[in-house]
Amino acid sequence: MGLTGYLTVSAVLFTLGLVIFISRKNTIAILMGVELMLNAAALNFVAFARFTPSQASQLDGQIFAVFIILLAAAEAVVALAIALSVYKSLNQIGADKLASLKG
Amino acid sequence: MMGIPELFFYFFTIMVIGIGLIVAFSRNLLRSAFALFFVLFGIAGFYVLLGGDFLAVVQIMVYAGGVNVLLIFGTMLTSDISSPKTSNLSFQGALTFIAGVSFLILLVLIINTTNWPIQVPGEMAATTKDIGRLLLKEYVLPFEIISFLLLAAIVSSLVLVKKGD
Repeated sequence: MGLTGYLTVSAVLFTLGLVIFISRKNTIAILMGVELMLNAAALNFVAFARFTPSQASQLDGQIFAVFIILLAAAEAVVALAIALSVYKSLNQIGADKLASLKG
Repeated sequence: MMGIPELFFYFFTIMVIGIGLIVAFSRNLLRSAFALFFVLFGIAGFYVLLGGDFLAVVQIMVYAGGVNVLLIFGTMLTSDISSPKTSNLSFQGALTFIAGVSFLILLVLIINTTNWPIQVPGEMAATTKDIGRLLLKEYVLPFEIISFLLLAAIVSSLVLVKKGD
């Protein structure tokens, strides 16, 4: 399969993540959408590293994908901690109901 | 006529997109979380097809083993799983559908009309050694920054969760 096949799969994944991101109410579901979008970006990087590698090194795209995975892990940890502490104080985590600052 | 890699490509494509649709449109949040697990496995399969052996293992270990378990854990702790119909898909379904489909059409058009400078892919080789060398030589500054970021994430999540007590 060529580059366009991988890019198309990645575009579909990104769109799914975007749809989740804008249509879900639950904060954790929104986080799942963000994870899907990050994965689509990482898949793009790896596909480009395979089919159009940079001059300096074949593996630059894969290094970027490693960094994306690590950033996604850090982001998931902090976002879940926020969700848990919001749930502890407000007893729900619907994104449309979290309307008060300093609650 | 199809070789084994093409067969696996189509298998992973169907797996990722089909199960991704479950993630996006399932009413039950817990079902979405478990479906996300299989999507992440499918992406690890794509990494293997693209010659990223180290990356595929990292994907399975960090995403499927860590992040997704964390998401399932958060789902079980915070949402009302026994009555999943109350709070899931939002009411703007039609608008979201239109936005998503038009965005997807735009992306696919761009992908198919751009003239990518494709080179013929070389032989696949083991990448772990080269990635380690790159991380400790050319990319040592981002590597250190990201390790500091991970430390900050650990400390900040502990502080955030502990503050309620």
